[in-house]
Amino acid sequence: MDHSITFTTADGSTRSVTVPTGVMLAEAAQRAGVEINQPCGGQGRCGRCAVQVAKGEVRRRSTLRLSAEDVDAGWALACQSVVEGDADILVPEQEKIERRLTTDRTAAEVQVPAGYDYAADQTVRRVTLSLSQPNMDDQTDDWSRLQTALRLQAGIENLTVSLPLLRRIGAVLREGDWTVSAVVDSAGNRLVELEPGHRSPDEPLWGVAIDIGTTTVSVWLVDLVSGQVRAQVAEYNGQIARGEDVISRIIYASKNGGEAEMRSRVLDTINSLVERACKRVKGAEPGQIVKAAISGNSTMIHLLLGIPAASIRLTPFITAINTIPTMNAREVGLVINPEGVVDCLPGVASYVGADITAGVLSSGLDDADNTTLFIDVGTNGEIVLGSREFLVTCACSAGPAFEGAGVLHGMRATGGAIEEVWINGETFEPTCRVIGGGKPSGLCGSGLISLLAEMFLTGVLDKAGNVNLTLPTPRVRQGEHGPEYVVAWGSETEDGRDISITRVDVDNLLRAKAAIYAGFSVLADNVGMPLEMVEQVLVGGSFGKYINVEKAVQIGLLPDIEWNRFQFLGNTSVRGAYLGLLNKDSRQRIDDIAGKMTYIELSADNSFYDAFMSAMFLPHTDMDKFPSVAAALNKP
Amino acid sequence: MPIEIPKDKWPGSIKAVTIGATAAEGGTRAKSITIGGQNTMPYLQFEKPTPNTPVIAIEIKSRKPEDWSPLLEKPWGEAMADPAEWAKKAEAAGADLLVLALTLEDTPDSAVKTVKAVLAASGLPLVVWGPGQAEKDNELLVPVAEAAKGEKVVLGVCEDKNYRTIVATAMANGHLVEARTPMDVNLAKQLNILISDMGLPMDRIVMDPTTGALGYGIEYGYSVMERLRLAALQGDAMTQLPMMVTPGFEAWKAKESKVGEGVPEAWGDWEARAVNWETLTAMALVESGADVVVLRHPESVKRVKAAIGELMAA
Repeated sequence: MDHSITFTTADGSTRSVTVPTGVMLAEAAQRAGVEINQPCGGQGRCGRCAVQVAKGEVRRRSTLRLSAEDVDAGWALACQSVVEGDADILVPEQEKIERRLTTDRTAAEVQVPAGYDYAADQTVRRVTLSLSQPNMDDQTDDWSRLQTALRLQAGIENLTVSLPLLRRIGAVLREGDWTVSAVVDSAGNRLVELEPGHRSPDEPLWGVAIDIGTTTVSVWLVDLVSGQVRAQVAEYNGQIARGEDVISRIIYASKNGGEAEMRSRVLDTINSLVERACKRVKGAEPGQIVKAAISGNSTMIHLLLGIPAASIRLTPFITAINTIPTMNAREVGLVINPEGVVDCLPGVASYVGADITAGVLSSGLDDADNTTLFIDVGTNGEIVLGSREFLVTCACSAGPAFEGAGVLHGMRATGGAIEEVWINGETFEPTCRVIGGGKPSGLCGSGLISLLAEMFLTGVLDKAGNVNLTLPTPRVRQGEHGPEYVVAWGSETEDGRDISITRVDVDNLLRAKAAIYAGFSVLADNVGMPLEMVEQVLVGGSFGKYINVEKAVQIGLLPDIEWNRFQFLGNTSVRGAYLGLLNKDSRQRIDDIAGKMTYIELSADNSFYDAFMSAMFLPHTDMDKFPSVAAALNKP
Repeated sequence: MPIEIPKDKWPGSIKAVTIGATAAEGGTRAKSITIGGQNTMPYLQFEKPTPNTPVIAIEIKSRKPEDWSPLLEKPWGEAMADPAEWAKKAEAAGADLLVLALTLEDTPDSAVKTVKAVLAASGLPLVVWGPGQAEKDNELLVPVAEAAKGEKVVLGVCEDKNYRTIVATAMANGHLVEARTPMDVNLAKQLNILISDMGLPMDRIVMDPTTGALGYGIEYGYSVMERLRLAALQGDAMTQLPMMVTPGFEAWKAKESKVGEGVPEAWGDWEARAVNWETLTAMALVESGADVVVLRHPESVKRVKAAIGELMAA
């Protein structure tokens, strides 16, 4: 039986769709062209797809995260509610995915690698050719004529060419009056582009370095001739609306049509970023980009290429492919030159992807004299320990708590997010710093780390994360979601509601930090090296830029060693892609890194669970590991 | 050829914990008992004699339990309806100390009355358990702790989500606490840290790492206790506490003890089997280092006591 569902969105517009019994509201909305975010991938965990049933009724399979009053008021989770009759649905305003400006701001800071030599290092090059004109005595065909010129004038032999390009060759040769510029991929022995006339040797040849993060996608537009980064842009990954972590996305992609949707969502993000980057640089156009180097975790790369990722999620956690052959932009779906070379960097395992191999290259860890720990803090925490002599790696699922998801008043690091908190140890009154300086609307990752550390040091939390409800302040209270601490009263906030952190939030944060701490401590144990012997700690990930080391140590996220051993690198993945894009030796080094890394699967080893449980404490069950925190606690 | 038996030397030792206070110690108990104090793995008498004999507690309830096996009604009979009578019978059955479990039906007044009656009826040191619901536990244990001030009672049970009130009242009234965690070395250690962070001295904490009955996870409980003991002996101060476990509660939950009909004939006599189950569960735990085992059936008490005697003599 069919039912008519009418959606009214926040701007007052309505759209109707007819669907059969049993269809989920979320799917009905999609069919009606109404956008509803599903950050958990439609598993009913996050509650962000809540909509209000104004007329009619739906069957709620789950009301997790909705209170009884919410349900009475008609609220329902779109991903968990089944259509069983006609209904009118109110869709609240969907959280806007704001542009993060930080990566744009650092545009001037990228230095061209010392000694970059386009002619020697770059695999893609442009050559100018002057061909002899055909006549009745020389009836050589166009393609052979071009090949002869390439051989005699540029020393390039045995090129292949695609059919679409082949169709254009004759016209280009004649348009340029037998003078042409050819772009050649010497690694793949392929003709990439043929343009009429001669180009100046200084004229830019465009490439892009792309990092597909689970949360943020970054694109650098690079002049392959000079090696300069000419534009840097970043945007949230369009897949977020269908899952905040890789697992939710794999689940969504495994559903009917999900794979194609995921692929087009990330392609839309990348293509719009490429367009935006080109707009910033005079004379650059997407169609002129002839090479792309792409980094990202294994799931992101699979979803980009439309390769089924389901086996990544299931034991024994196997990818379809780690080392991906070079492809062209047309088949991948990138809107650059259709013949453009697309180079997806190699991964090591399901949860140690190209973002890490590129990150290692960029951090220089594989050439370090000292034993170095590299931690990529993100939804999935990846960790590498090593030096020039060895590289071991592991991955641990930290969950999205540090990115503000899975936390009641969590949000991303955008305007209105509380990014740092100080708590007075006597009055328990907080002071907050808000991004953009306005009224707060939630807590972002660095704010959560800071808050957790302050609550712990002032005794609002005990070492197990219990809220001390006996403190003489109204800020600790028994809330709807259990014990909580109020960071900002409704009168001070953007939407008039109290911003608090609950016991459940604290547990999620403890689990996230425990997973990362356990990850690198088990890794260090595996190579028989005490953490104190680690000479430098490199922290990467777009999150890495914002962490306050002191607070991160106080909650036991980072090891308690001298702060000057920590270095924050920002996005190492896109930088690694950039280096691989420019230089064939660097690119080879990424392959070598991938081959050299020993991957340790933590779930195959029971020591991880033990390390995890002992890290599920503030700062850690073994206080001897955190002398500076012990000292801070003993201060009067 | 003479053979020299290698002896381990450990840097750490278990805290000696005294439960109950005699008149001289400020209470009214006929005797106090001390547990713990070990500096070797259990019963390696050739390394170092075990300083304190493991003890047996008998569990009694403030109200006649509805869900206990009829096999337990046989020995205890009418006394089960009267905690003071039950306490006397338990003492006569050979208990070293008593565990009095309060129930959800108790009010602060009835709890205090029962505790006073039991203290008057028997001179044994006492452990008092709340009914196991955080708010109710706190509501009952605070007045009980005040009423029994000076008796060095063990108040239980503290768990990681609910320990603050119990520890505070134990500190204020000179009692001890039982710290229970679900079969995990780290969790056990964490709760000990939380409790001692509040300022309760370590020699007033008894830890209960939780266990399972024979056939129901005892090997996991055994290995957690063994690991806790190894950590303690290696010098980890936050695990150097005596352990109290509840084989009686666990064994009487097992199908083998609970069910008398419709089971394979090969299982043999129900009563013999049930008592064996409790005894064997308790003995395995004693051998893994338990300092207090809480039992329910007087016959098990007799047998475990005899077996402990043999271990101590070896």
